[in-house]
Amino acid sequence: MGIIDKKVSLRNRGKLLLGVYEDEDQLMTAAKKLAGHGIPVLDVYTPYPIHGLDRIIGVKRTNLTVIAFLCGLTGFSLATLMIWYMNVHDWPMIVGNKPLVFATSWIPVMFESTVLCTAFGMAFFFFWRNRLAHGIQPELLDDRQTDDRMIVVVEAEHANAEEVMSIYRSTGAVETRERVGGVQTTIK
Amino acid sequence: MAHLDSHAVEITKEQFTVPGKAKMLALGTLIIGAVLTIIGVFTLPADSHDKHASNGGVVKVATVANPQDTGAKTDAAHTATVPGHGTDSAAPHAAAAAGHGHDAGHGHGDAHAADPNLIVDNAGHVTLLPKPTHKDPAHAKPAMTRFWANLLVNGYFFLVISIAALFFVAVNYIANAGWSAAIKRVPEAMYTFIPVGLVAVLAVIIFARYDIYHWAHYEHLNPAKGSADYDKILAGKSGFLNSNFLIVGTILFVSIYYLFGLKLRSLSAQEDNTQKGDTSFFRKMTRFSAAFTVIYGFSISVLAWLLIMSIDAHWYSTIFGVYNFATAWVTSLTLICCFVLFLRSAGYLKIVSDEHIHDLGKFMFAFSIFWTYIWLSQLLLIWYAQIPEEVAYYYDRFNDPQFKIQFFANLVMNFIAPFLILMTRNNKRNPITLGIVAVILLIGHWNDVYLMVMPGSIGSAAQIGVLEVGMFLFFLGLFVYWVLQALTKRSLIAVNHPYIEESAYHDVGP
Repeated sequence: MGIIDKKVSLRNRGKLLLGVYEDEDQLMTAAKKLAGHGIPVLDVYTPYPIHGLDRIIGVKRTNLTVIAFLCGLTGFSLATLMIWYMNVHDWPMIVGNKPLVFATSWIPVMFESTVLCTAFGMAFFFFWRNRLAHGIQPELLDDRQTDDRMIVVVEAEHANAEEVMSIYRSTGAVETRERVGGVQTTIK
Repeated sequence: MAHLDSHAVEITKEQFTVPGKAKMLALGTLIIGAVLTIIGVFTLPADSHDKHASNGGVVKVATVANPQDTGAKTDAAHTATVPGHGTDSAAPHAAAAAGHGHDAGHGHGDAHAADPNLIVDNAGHVTLLPKPTHKDPAHAKPAMTRFWANLLVNGYFFLVISIAALFFVAVNYIANAGWSAAIKRVPEAMYTFIPVGLVAVLAVIIFARYDIYHWAHYEHLNPAKGSADYDKILAGKSGFLNSNFLIVGTILFVSIYYLFGLKLRSLSAQEDNTQKGDTSFFRKMTRFSAAFTVIYGFSISVLAWLLIMSIDAHWYSTIFGVYNFATAWVTSLTLICCFVLFLRSAGYLKIVSDEHIHDLGKFMFAFSIFWTYIWLSQLLLIWYAQIPEEVAYYYDRFNDPQFKIQFFANLVMNFIAPFLILMTRNNKRNPITLGIVAVILLIGHWNDVYLMVMPGSIGSAAQIGVLEVGMFLFFLGLFVYWVLQALTKRSLIAVNHPYIEESAYHDVGP
């Protein structure tokens, strides 16, 4: 799994099968049924987090922690390099009879730099990965997915469209749709 | 929670009986520890200090830039007196034993305010001369002092761990925490050890305070103002540092904690026998917890000043209370994690999942960093500022090779090891890695307390020997046995805790 999650983007995808729900429990039933039939769920869009749904649709653990570690390491190395260059290499400076190289006095700078780089690095990677930068057109499937509708998305190439639609209907979806190239059509 | 029925769990009372093996192991550790302690006590050097004798009482004299310095003069006089003592170490001890004789040659003259042990030359180089009070053979303490100092290390260590377990219970109540409801009987059992720790500490401060605490010795001598032995600093602190307050304060604070603990334990037991859904006990416990947290927050610092910081009576550090709390808190979390892992492996605590273990692992990880933050804050500020009366504390720990190794082992065992090992998620959920880190942290923080006590109390007579290992094992075995027994007293699952279901389904996602 790459650092950038391709899953979050809906661009450049084939036919998508959407099931729109109004009820959390019906959505959970549908997700379980799809999983039971071995149909991979691309994603579920909900206005609020639903406890346990992530495990059912097989959301993988985030890799943001790897980024955090790498950013921290970068910050630590940069701080070490900076202090070494400034205080040891370029302009050796002894303050208060303290040792010149790798003194305890380096620790606060190293610590702060590590924390700074980790925090900023994680924030930037999080925004990049989730396409949350300012000005990016949001990919909403339905305006009400941020309000009171929940949408299950399955890619048609990985599943039988009829089977998916029948699962949607049998579990109480208020609407079933197809989405091809950004255009949605309601399927009765 | 209906949709989580795929891993539904049943919340029932669990009655714990100590498995035979665990009992044998705890008692075995206790007995081996006791035997080693006794061996250690009987093999103590006969009231003389090997290291002092082998050094021949040579005091390292640092180069002094300014010979007019008063410190240099004091030092010259000092070195002149030392070799005489080095050849015959028994005589000065006899003097010391017979009423803690205070040698006028290196007492607490008025010059102490200027600290004759510190020499600051024109270039700003600070040189600390060894403190006569602890390094000098004339001040040799009875060999048994090492036993008492060890008792203080272990008694205090396990006392503050137990109190921190009570703090864990309280802090989870006032934070309205749900996840910890499933494991709360473990810290509840752990703080039953408070009386034992108190007895150990009281034994030290009642029977051996003159040898351990420099100021108690001074209080005992009570030199008149203006006399050669008069010490302005110790006299000024006598309103706080006096034997009465040491003993009464320790008993008072610890008793208050324990009474709160007993109250919380009794409410918790009553809650088990009520109807499900009755939150009155929970509310009461939240109130008691809030009161306890306030009292604990203030008085645990005072306890640390009284019992530990006052060993180096001329020195003080305003962060010392927090530093001691950090040590106690992270060790307590480590031991809670160990007991939970043990109970799970023995087939109990069925509602405790990897998620709870993960949370405890996060706690160990986070508070190891917290400890390091506090530890470094104290060290860094003193190291930077280099104010003589502050540096003296670290001088003692850096000047002795053994303490120096232990000092840096502190950083490795209590920060670098847990930080690197527990960084990944899998390691925080893996009983084996958690167990390894737990052992490192337990020994590491014992080492931390050892370093707080030993340099100031027995100085270079300190070493890690049979006595030290034995007494640590004794206390560890006793603690584990005691807690396991306390765990059998009631159901391991607080079935009527309002958050027990939330705890049973505790899940933070993939």
